[in-house]
Amino acid sequence: MPIHLEIVTPEGKVYADDVDSVVVPTTTGEVGILPGHIPLLTELDGGAITVSKNGANEDLAVSAGFAQCVGDKVSILAEHAINAADIDEAEVAEAQKRAEEALKNSKEMSDEEIEMLESTVQYASIQRLLKAKKR
Amino acid sequence: MPNTREIRSRIKSVKNTRQITKAMELVAASKMKKAQQMALSGQPYAALLAEVLANVSGRIDNVEHPFLEEREVVKRGILLVTTDRGLCGPLNSNLFREVLKIKDSARFVSIGRKGSQFLSRNKLDLLADFSVPDNVPYLQIKQIVEFMVEKREAGEIDTIEVLYPRFVNTLIQEASFAKLLPILDLDEMINSLHAKGEAPYQPSNDERKFKFEPDPATILGKLLPLFVNREAHQAVLSARASEHSARMVAMKTAKDNAGNLLDALTLQFNKARQAAITQEILEIAAATANN
Repeated sequence: MPIHLEIVTPEGKVYADDVDSVVVPTTTGEVGILPGHIPLLTELDGGAITVSKNGANEDLAVSAGFAQCVGDKVSILAEHAINAADIDEAEVAEAQKRAEEALKNSKEMSDEEIEMLESTVQYASIQRLLKAKKR
Repeated sequence: MPNTREIRSRIKSVKNTRQITKAMELVAASKMKKAQQMALSGQPYAALLAEVLANVSGRIDNVEHPFLEEREVVKRGILLVTTDRGLCGPLNSNLFREVLKIKDSARFVSIGRKGSQFLSRNKLDLLADFSVPDNVPYLQIKQIVEFMVEKREAGEIDTIEVLYPRFVNTLIQEASFAKLLPILDLDEMINSLHAKGEAPYQPSNDERKFKFEPDPATILGKLLPLFVNREAHQAVLSARASEHSARMVAMKTAKDNAGNLLDALTLQFNKARQAAITQEILEIAAATANN
């Protein structure tokens, strides 16, 4: 009995498929979800989601958000998410550099802008870590 | 019958109008594509967020949060989303009609210049007006919503609703209400956000109790504001898509009308010219016959 996994970001649906199990990074540690899991609502930490399907593993990088598991449906809401295979390292490095540059003159910025830039930096480093792990 | 010169100058002015409306149509069309894309890609996120909340809200007890608390509605708080510029068909006037239908006492926050003008002209209670650029930055919407939430906590308003032109497709935009706070019934909102052709939302039949990590208060404390901000953001995105679609359609109609008018005028011009020529020939013929 598979579980249905859905990963959605403000830019659109990133992932929707039936999978065997999924491991999600939460603020209180990693949680593995198998079919029949009790209903769960948890806060997602930036990190790697590992999806296992027919014995093969797939990794996705996500930024902070929420994960919900009800019945056999796992819904993940995140600011960003990307499949490890699609990460473009050069682009990520560029984005990280830009955000870090911008953070340097953070004095004139509102707290929210700083928060957003910090999350960009964090998400970029998650993606780079994941890519490095792949090799 | 007007003489040929008058007709010619009219033809000229109609041609100019056609050219201008055509240019505006093209501009609106390219903006529309981008705005529609943005509105549509945000839809699944907003829908899923609402679904998550709907699943949770039925199955929690003893969680208190100001967003969930239902209280007597004395003043409604309405965020009116209109356009900054006109020439977009009946888009704004449809919204204004809805506003005038409201019989309860309400206070307004407005996005868009047209809305602010309308509210002050009708001496309605305008709390604040904001202007939001075309790309609708999320942070800015967040600030507007937070402003309204503050007013609600201070007791100045009791609900937060968004009145906006909901984007259905390029030809149809509906003036509709989205009730953001208090969060009571979400089914309607979820279904309106679901893309066409997708299965309508069904509550899960999993009846077991929810487990929250780290704990319900922390999770809901973050999830609820995110929900309200995102739904408002989605509404404004949808309004922008509606604006550009409506403008494109209005400009296309104007362009087509100018074309029709031009055809009619050209016919009239040719007739008048021919009549003048015939007249002249007749006069010459008559003159030679008399000699």
